[in-house]
Amino acid sequence: MSIPTAKLKKPTLKVTPSSRAMNISTSGILRLNRSATYARSINASVSRKSFCLAADSKILEKSSVQTPKHTIQVLDENGKDVTPRPVYQPDPAAVQSKHSKIFASDTSGGTMSDFYSTTYQTTTNASFAGAFTRSLFGSGSVSIGSQSIMESMSEEIEDPSSKRDNSISLSDVQVKREEVKELIQEEMLDDMVDLYLVESDTLCLLDMPAISVSVDSMEAESVKERNSRYTELCKNRTGNDKYMGRSMQTFNGASKTKEVQSEAITMADAATIANNWDMYDSFCSAGQGEVDLSTDTDKASIAEMIHQNHGPTRTMERTMSVISSSTIVSSSSSRMEMEPFVVPSESKPDPELILQSEEFQQHLFVMERIILENIYQPKLAAYRQLPTLEDPDSMPKAVPMVVSRREESSLDEEGPPTPALERLWSFSCELTTGRNVSSMAWNKRNPDLLAVGYGQFAFKDQKPGLVCCWSLKNPSWPERIFTCQSGVTALDFSASSASMLAVGMHDGTIATYNVQSREKTPVIDSSDCVHKHTSPVWQVRWINHERALSGEDKGEALISVSADGRISKWFLRKGLDCIDLMKLKRTRNDRFKRQVGEKERKSEALISRQAPGLCFDFHPTDSNIYLAGTEEGHIHKCSCSYNEQFLETYQAHKGPLYRITWSPFCSDVFLSCSSDWTIQLWRQDLFTPVLGFMSTQRAVYDVMWSPKWATVFGAVNEGRMEIWDLGASILDPTIVNPASPGVKLTSLLFATETDCVLVGDSDGQVSVYQLKNFTAGEGTQVGTLEDIIGSTLASQL
Amino acid sequence: MAEVEETLKRIQSQKGVQGIIIVNAEGIPIKTTLDNSSTVQYAGLIHQLVMKARSTVRDIDPQNDLTFLRIRSKKNEIMIAPESCVEIL
Repeated sequence: MSIPTAKLKKPTLKVTPSSRAMNISTSGILRLNRSATYARSINASVSRKSFCLAADSKILEKSSVQTPKHTIQVLDENGKDVTPRPVYQPDPAAVQSKHSKIFASDTSGGTMSDFYSTTYQTTTNASFAGAFTRSLFGSGSVSIGSQSIMESMSEEIEDPSSKRDNSISLSDVQVKREEVKELIQEEMLDDMVDLYLVESDTLCLLDMPAISVSVDSMEAESVKERNSRYTELCKNRTGNDKYMGRSMQTFNGASKTKEVQSEAITMADAATIANNWDMYDSFCSAGQGEVDLSTDTDKASIAEMIHQNHGPTRTMERTMSVISSSTIVSSSSSRMEMEPFVVPSESKPDPELILQSEEFQQHLFVMERIILENIYQPKLAAYRQLPTLEDPDSMPKAVPMVVSRREESSLDEEGPPTPALERLWSFSCELTTGRNVSSMAWNKRNPDLLAVGYGQFAFKDQKPGLVCCWSLKNPSWPERIFTCQSGVTALDFSASSASMLAVGMHDGTIATYNVQSREKTPVIDSSDCVHKHTSPVWQVRWINHERALSGEDKGEALISVSADGRISKWFLRKGLDCIDLMKLKRTRNDRFKRQVGEKERKSEALISRQAPGLCFDFHPTDSNIYLAGTEEGHIHKCSCSYNEQFLETYQAHKGPLYRITWSPFCSDVFLSCSSDWTIQLWRQDLFTPVLGFMSTQRAVYDVMWSPKWATVFGAVNEGRMEIWDLGASILDPTIVNPASPGVKLTSLLFATETDCVLVGDSDGQVSVYQLKNFTAGEGTQVGTLEDIIGSTLASQL
Repeated sequence: MAEVEETLKRIQSQKGVQGIIIVNAEGIPIKTTLDNSSTVQYAGLIHQLVMKARSTVRDIDPQNDLTFLRIRSKKNEIMIAPESCVEIL
């Protein structure tokens, strides 16, 4: 008996043996008939079921799936309804997809008749069909799968001789319908399609253990014995008192059906991206968060702590995307019930918070510097003597050609290029305009940091002073701004603790600031000191005393000179205190040497016994010896060990001395400049100056030796800035740079690393100039300087 | 706070700076000196780029982080400081 495993579905067709009404669907819709099978052989058993459909009738299919169900009824020759019942009732909702197999017109397709004529005798058919359906289920792609099945089927169909017992029940396969035009279908038929048939696992549907045992088997004896025993038992049973028959009745409880309804489970898709760093982050923070949170259960403090954790450790955690915060939650959610509450509040920080946060400020800071670097890049590069990057877009190509030609021509005419100053940029901002630059100092450790003090020299227009620390990286705004009560007249950076800046002021106060902190107040102030200066402090310097004097600590000390005639050394005991290194006495001329402590006076009435000191400089190698210049025009050589008497006095200037500097290369040569329009070069052992320089009739405010060449020094007088090169000429300055009209130049500073000169003026600008084409020869020219001095002396004799 | 404002003003007044946009973590602009449409456009586009750039940097080494991003084009340059995302043209 053939067991059709056809799964009959909705489409029903009354098929009678005589009916030939078939729906021939030649539409392009490719469907696999659920119940379509095809069999090659028509067995003799078929005749019992006498339904015959035309062999070449096409497989029928409803043109639309949605048509109501047709059930196929099979009528036996006797008219009995032997419609095979479907083994498997598919879900009515899944009717939509149907397969239909459309065979080419010439192929004799599996038809209904064939379907019913299928014979599958093997018991494995079920499983086989199942397997096949399963593999059909497994095939993902619809059209190709179906097409390939179709092909295979068509192949099989074309092979009439082969007996195919397999029936393909495709009724369970629910595949999407696809609309394929018939034309294309024909072409597809010709394609070679690979079909992979995979055998799935064998499911055991029925297991009937054997009930008979072979005589030869090993168990035969025991089985036989058991059998015989059993038959005996059965025989003995009847009429035996040992056994009694008893009847039982089981109660079958009435069953009741109970229905339960549950809500549909709503599913939501959630996705998260786990990057490398995401995992790293959550690992780090989860590890930290757990440690802290286990001790504290208060929500507020948890929030705080997480805030803390996130803040310092990783700046972006706090404002990290929600994804990572959710991963934090998920990873440690078992222990932290509180954490989910915390996270939402954190994930959207206040805009205000952002603006105030440290990191934001830092970023702004960096941003500003970068922009300025963009703007000033050529200048800064020139400063540092790096090759300048050309902006590729700004200059048109035509211009450089013209320029270079002109340069060449000028070069040819003039010979070697003249040394010149090129103005790079100037440090100034609106805070500093209008203020007079009184002093400048480089930081000893960071050569990019410059401290500039602003204060008036003259007594009458005093305003509160200003100290600005400028960084090279930002020429438009100082890094630190300190306002002082009175004008700043002197500045120096400490060498041992590079962030200490000593400031001397017009009212005699000395203050030290810590440049590292952002505080605006000085660290130490000398206003409370008893022995403080009563007149403007004209110079301060940190000096390193190598030789420890009696009772004093070795190390750095702050020395200051002021207009009250005292040179004092400041130290920190209980508060800032000073001792006087020297009191500058007035000396009329070298013939009259006053005695110590003598109160006798000449007939002149002097305001004070002491001469205002304006400048001093310690010897570069011997820190005991120093020179001091006074308002009278005298230079006194003093020693730290004698605080009553000068060692020497040099008199040549007729006006107050503004600056004395030892030469950094020749240890007994020093320069002095004063308001009598001259600069004098001295040697330590001679009491008259070796050389005198005068270029204009203006007071020379500042002079400084160049740190690179021994024969070069720079000087600043009211109207212009001059660079003198003694090797080139001792009569005229080598480079002259006039000041802008209306502005007086007041201070000068050489840059230590590069060939640049800084000039401060009375308008609050500090301009940076670069020395170009300046060659004083190789080496430091010490020999040259000494030669010059020697030759000058020789010529004087 | 005032210092921040001042710094912003100074940057804005520098020659060559077209505008500043400050953007929070989600890409919503907080403060801007450009017009609205440009701001929104920039904020949206740049935000994705920053995310991608940061992801790239950290994928290679999770301990690393993006500190600054500069995009130079023919006509101008966009500078982005992430974390709170300050962009300056």
